[in-house]
Amino acid sequence: MSSPDSLPDVAAHHDPSWRAGLKDGIPTLFGIAAWGLVVGVAMVKSGLTVMQALGMTLLVFAGSAQLASLPLIAAAAPIWVIFLTAVVVNLRFVIFAALLAPHFAKLPLWRRFLLGYGAGDMTTAMFLQRYPTEKPAEGKLSYLRGLLYPNFAAWQAGSIAGIFLGSAVPAEWGLGFAGTLAIVCITVPMVASRPALCGALVAGVTAVLAHSFPYKLGLLAAVIVGMSTAMLVEGVIERRKAANV
Amino acid sequence: MSELEIWLTIGALVCATAITRSSFWVIGEHVSIPTRVQEMLRYAPSCALAAIIGPDLLLDPQGTVEFSFHNYKLLAGAAAIAYYLARRNMLETIVFGMACFTALRLLL
Repeated sequence: MSSPDSLPDVAAHHDPSWRAGLKDGIPTLFGIAAWGLVVGVAMVKSGLTVMQALGMTLLVFAGSAQLASLPLIAAAAPIWVIFLTAVVVNLRFVIFAALLAPHFAKLPLWRRFLLGYGAGDMTTAMFLQRYPTEKPAEGKLSYLRGLLYPNFAAWQAGSIAGIFLGSAVPAEWGLGFAGTLAIVCITVPMVASRPALCGALVAGVTAVLAHSFPYKLGLLAAVIVGMSTAMLVEGVIERRKAANV
Repeated sequence: MSELEIWLTIGALVCATAITRSSFWVIGEHVSIPTRVQEMLRYAPSCALAAIIGPDLLLDPQGTVEFSFHNYKLLAGAAAIAYYLARRNMLETIVFGMACFTALRLLL
């Protein structure tokens, strides 16, 4: 029995919220599927077999980390270097998870794990737009599911189509380059601020110069140098602002 | 890489995704990340992605820097960045960049 002043049940199915999630997610699905398609093509064009590519897309479900791993796999980099690179590319999700997870603290552990695993950029952004505070509200889980399930389905459908399309197209078409272009498209909006832009430029140049480092460690060296640059620039900008006040 | 190594790599990618996406969900409680750490978490991914793009666009297959008009990936990549900045549309940008790359490759 619930008393009138008990907290709303976050986890109970709530049909209007579920439908609201579906409705809010629909406009993004085409873009998600297209992005999946590009990653699918890039996976087989970088040398994975159809089975390996299917396994990767169904299990990993993280497009940017998958794309980042492809040139490293092609260059036969050590697995721990690929692992660290994927962690770094995924670090933005740590911030998202810290914002999203407390909304669902009451759910069983295993379900929390799976929801977290499935919540990518778009799902997190749209959920937090509707529920900016952690206050328990009816239908929160239904809304998240309404966003998450179609997102996952669209991504997988696009990706699987890309895998079969990619394996049908001759290598001379150079379709693997679409993967690089896709990384460009996700990076440009991430470097909208001056510190982020400086950091990325320095990281890009460092990676080129450090290309021949053993074990493909040039990439991680570039991340450290680039990140330090970004934080340094941010510090300088803040100090200037403080001096002008 | 051998078949087994590739599957092990896929397993490592699953772990990388689980650690970054699910850790805070497993903890469950509200955790505030210090500003300084948030900055690092925010800047690292774009640096890593730039570190993948840089060598991809600038190095030839032998690993030497190719900064010239014969580097079609560099030219097409630069055109794609300009296109994306103007139109902010990912799919169009990829199609445009691929079209530039293919045209350069076939016509020059």
